[in-house]
Amino acid sequence: MKTSERGRRISSAVALYVIILVAFQVFLITVAVEAIQTDHESLAWATAGVSVVLAGAAVAFLHYLRP
Amino acid sequence: MSDKDTPSDDQPIWHRDFPYEAIAEEEVTRREFTRYLVLGAGTMAAANVGLAMWTQLRSINLGEPRAIVALADVAIGDSYLFRYPSERDPAVLVRLGESEVVSFSQKCTHLGCVVFYQTDEQRWHCPCHNGNFDTRTGAVLSGPPPRPLGRINVEIRDDGQIWALGKSE
Repeated sequence: MKTSERGRRISSAVALYVIILVAFQVFLITVAVEAIQTDHESLAWATAGVSVVLAGAAVAFLHYLRP
Repeated sequence: MSDKDTPSDDQPIWHRDFPYEAIAEEEVTRREFTRYLVLGAGTMAAANVGLAMWTQLRSINLGEPRAIVALADVAIGDSYLFRYPSERDPAVLVRLGESEVVSFSQKCTHLGCVVFYQTDEQRWHCPCHNGNFDTRTGAVLSGPPPRPLGRINVEIRDDGQIWALGKSE
């Protein structure tokens, strides 16, 4: 497989992974809003923790892309 | 017109109309796109942390002691709506006996709907998803709520007023 084609596939895969992570983030926002509505602070903090981890994973994926 | 400029059938139409080329064009586009997505993910993570802090700040406010209503104004078996600890927090008390009063936050712990006291069933009821809570303890009897109702400590003072003393943690 040519290097350019491989790079293109990797960049497509990374973009797809990040799209999935962003979709999860949208879901987590809805969970956090529910936590506010029900005054459930432990759920809100757990949601925030997972959200930060997902954002970190998205940043890590970005490093796989060629500059 | 050279061979390079000649349109071919395997090119997309837009590329035939706008035949520009750039080095590693697709990679750059994908990287930019992914960078925006990562920026969005970071923004949503920051928003989630902010929402968690807001929830925590709301929970810290347990309320100051204050008079709610005169005991004589609430008949036995009746409920009385008020707001506690802040004006945005609906609460309800019910008089169960001559000198027995219990009070809870009116927010259902499932999705925040308003609960009310069912006199005939003698329980707190959430009509949204049929959640039911114990009259005296607020514990979940049935339905989807995961936690008991938030309890508000109340007492009847010598002046005949019912006082809220603060939310239980």
